[in-house]
Amino acid sequence: MHEHVYDVFARKDRGDPLAHIGYIDALDDETARVYAWKTYDEQNWFEMCIVRRSAIIPVNRTDGPFARGWKDGHE
Amino acid sequence: MSEHLDVRALADGERAALRRLILGLADSKRIMGIRYSDWLLGAPSIETGIAASSMSQDEWGHARLLYAMLKDLGDDPVAVEHERPDEAYASLDALDEGFPDWAAVVAGMVIVDGALTVSLNAFSRGSFEPATTRVPKMLGEEEFHASLGSAWYRRLATSASNEATGLLRRATEAMLPTTLAWLGVEDAAARTLVDLGVTDRGSQLVAAFRDRVRGDVAQAGVDVDAQAAATRGWDEGRGRGPGHPDADAAERARGDRNRMLFVE
Repeated sequence: MHEHVYDVFARKDRGDPLAHIGYIDALDDETARVYAWKTYDEQNWFEMCIVRRSAIIPVNRTDGPFARGWKDGHE
Repeated sequence: MSEHLDVRALADGERAALRRLILGLADSKRIMGIRYSDWLLGAPSIETGIAASSMSQDEWGHARLLYAMLKDLGDDPVAVEHERPDEAYASLDALDEGFPDWAAVVAGMVIVDGALTVSLNAFSRGSFEPATTRVPKMLGEEEFHASLGSAWYRRLATSASNEATGLLRRATEAMLPTTLAWLGVEDAAARTLVDLGVTDRGSQLVAAFRDRVRGDVAQAGVDVDAQAAATRGWDEGRGRGPGHPDADAAERARGDRNRMLFVE
């Protein structure tokens, strides 16, 4: 079974910018939701969301984890 | 359901019935937390272990809130939490022994945690005011437990490994009969609680539970509608079957080992 990398974004208060707070590995979206919420539960988040790294489209970089994730997902 | 219950006006039998329900839920949450905690290390991935750790904390938090409700009945929650013998624990039968493998943990998430959530859901809509205010937060946290349980159940049930599927099916079939008995009880205490508007009838709880788990367990070849409740040796005092949690779990639940270091 192949695991995917999911990047985790959250904001503490309604007006805060959404910030990248980390990543988790999971087999599917459903388990990724739980792992993200349970792993990054040190704050009382107003909002948390996750994105499969392969869905992030790099704009100006051709290196780094997001560019690699996009390449991996489109090969 | 109806208006809030006046706990001070309850007759002894009514008070005992409410105490039984709260203790059954609280003890189950506490032992469930211990069973999850056994898998902080040894779960299939780091993320899963962290989730088990967090779920264990959730369960202990829920247990603490439920034990605190006993104050409304004139009980001392500290004595209840720390001074009862193993035989007095009213936790679900399926939690008496530790989960031997990850498939059993997953079955426990779906079956045992699922049954507790069904019971808590009815309790939160009933006439006992502390439950209407405190239980909804628990149910919110339990949504993540259910989500993880369903996802892992599907993964194991549909895996290419006959061993994984077999372990999952056997664990599910072992847990269902006593869990159905626990939820579906319609003895004198259970009828009293229905009359007081505290919770739903056992048949309604069982129907809700079957609806909840039917799709999950069918993936492992288990027909939840064909499973019968195991009511033999029913203990009306505790609202469960015969037996009790193993000595190690009860000792950990009470906090015996380092109790002398407790400072308040």
